Amino acid sequence: MNLYSRMVIVLTSVGLLSGSFLATVGMLTKERIALNIQQEIEEAIAHVIPGTVSSEKLYEEKGLTIYGGKDKDGSLVGFGILASGVGFQDKIALMLGTNTSLTRTKKLKIIEQKETPGLGAKIEDDDAFLIFWENKDCSDSLSLRKPAANTPEELAPMEINTITGATISSESVLKIVNSSLERVRELIKEGTFQIGEQDVN
Amino acid sequence: MELVAIFVSAILVNNFVLYYFLGICPFLGVSKKIDSALSMGLAVTFVMTITSVVSWAINNWILIPHDLDYLKIVSFILVIASLVQLVEMFIRKISPPLYQALGIYLPLITTNCAIMGLALLAALREYEFAEAVVFGVGSGLGFTLAIILMAAIREQLDLADVPEPLKGAGIALIVAGIMALGFMAFIGMIR
Amino acid sequence: MSTRSIGQEFTKGLWDENPVFRQLLGLCPTLAVTGWVINGLAMALATTFVLIFSSLVISSIKKLIPAQVRIATFIVVIASFVTIADLFLKAFFYPISEALGPYVPLIVVNCIILGRQEAFSSKNSVGRSFIDALGMSSGFILALLILSSIREILGAGTFLGHQVMGPWFEPWIIMILPPGAFLALGILLGLALHIESKTKSRK
Repeated sequence: MNLYSRMVIVLTSVGLLSGSFLATVGMLTKERIALNIQQEIEEAIAHVIPGTVSSEKLYEEKGLTIYGGKDKDGSLVGFGILASGVGFQDKIALMLGTNTSLTRTKKLKIIEQKETPGLGAKIEDDDAFLIFWENKDCSDSLSLRKPAANTPEELAPMEINTITGATISSESVLKIVNSSLERVRELIKEGTFQIGEQDVN
Repeated sequence: MELVAIFVSAILVNNFVLYYFLGICPFLGVSKKIDSALSMGLAVTFVMTITSVVSWAINNWILIPHDLDYLKIVSFILVIASLVQLVEMFIRKISPPLYQALGIYLPLITTNCAIMGLALLAALREYEFAEAVVFGVGSGLGFTLAIILMAAIREQLDLADVPEPLKGAGIALIVAGIMALGFMAFIGMIR
Repeated sequence: MSTRSIGQEFTKGLWDENPVFRQLLGLCPTLAVTGWVINGLAMALATTFVLIFSSLVISSIKKLIPAQVRIATFIVVIASFVTIADLFLKAFFYPISEALGPYVPLIVVNCIILGRQEAFSSKNSVGRSFIDALGMSSGFILALLILSSIREILGAGTFLGHQVMGPWFEPWIIMILPPGAFLALGILLGLALHIESKTKSRK
């Protein structure tokens, strides 16, 4: 057997062996991995739309996905908006829960962030940041209060609080929320995305 | 201007070497003289741009449509290895002195995390074709910028009195740390 | 063929030929994920998995591989094990997989692994290659542990997430960020060389 054919045979067999090995492992882990991703999203939806028992993906485009949260009777209790954008350091992904008419926020959850630990990373923190996002008027763009207020009561209905020392991270979150809500309103106007007339809550 | 943002961010804000820690081996190894640093940087940029295109094509035309995501790592690295081989032959033919200058570092571009990192990040971020190309060029230029700056500093360092244990890699890393600190000033530029 | 004893085959990876501190290999993941001890540890273990299995496979089939295609073969074998490690983490340790991000697939270009195949596994018995891989991996784990401990303790006051520094301590956040990684490693390297030269002069 000459060198050339040996080379070809070795490379092909190694390739085939590893290919089939990988295909097997890939097949075995595929479901588990999809489940992990699914679980992360479902947990986020359940968190931002209290009372959710099941969820359904209603719309998807690049950078924005809209989920519907349903209670045990199957009726819609709110929307979960999954959006991502650029933060201070890197990508930020978040899930915003709103009521069914998209006029009030329920809760906000940060899903992915690589901000500065101890400063910008506080956007994940309930007490430092997220609590100020609850039950705000989001029928139009929200704004940022700086310098930071101490309690949620001090803020105007469409204001959210900045984190002292992490203004840019706070602003980035605000920007992502505002632009994604804006986009959803656009989609409703276009007719691409429909919401019911009734404001359930 | 999404494309401009990707381009600028790749060079300055999320510099491949100083933020993502990709391409450290050539960064430390070939940054002793400015001209070899420049050549290495340009070779890397060239390979990165082509890799960006090819890996995008493979990922979007072959892997994703056939649900072969688990073959991504293997296919990307094989493509990169072949590309580097081709570039090496190309440089050898058109400029033997350049080939001599780059020495062993040319084949080492294969294990240059920067190239693989580029392909993986572009796939992770689900870039469109134009975005992937811009990302490739930008990252290459960012690498080139970092390596030239490092070479400029190291040429000066040769004349300084560096404590013995820190000579070479030690002081280079400390300098890189200070450079990374400096580059952090660019953060927030994109908004 | 190696002339070292089995014991020495293992320990050389810990200090004399420590892949990070002496050979300066695998620096990309070393700098990238060592901001937190848990990440550094996970990366080191994943790399260990790939190194050991790649070495085992390569040294078993070394006689069958023609020299011209050895690098390509090494790459395919290494890339396969990296893929398996990546899939495993994604399936069973999802949060860690998210934290390590693209750096797990990047194990495939970790010079340590390809370097060991070229320098050792392709020329030594399966047994020796296994010990060599074990030693190098331990050295790598050690290096990442030291570096990430320094970075996490100084940068956040915690170790594996648990507070270890008292409330008086103001964390040096810079240690968790890129500049801190470079500085810490640079100083550690200087320290390693310093210790090395001191012990050499004593001998």
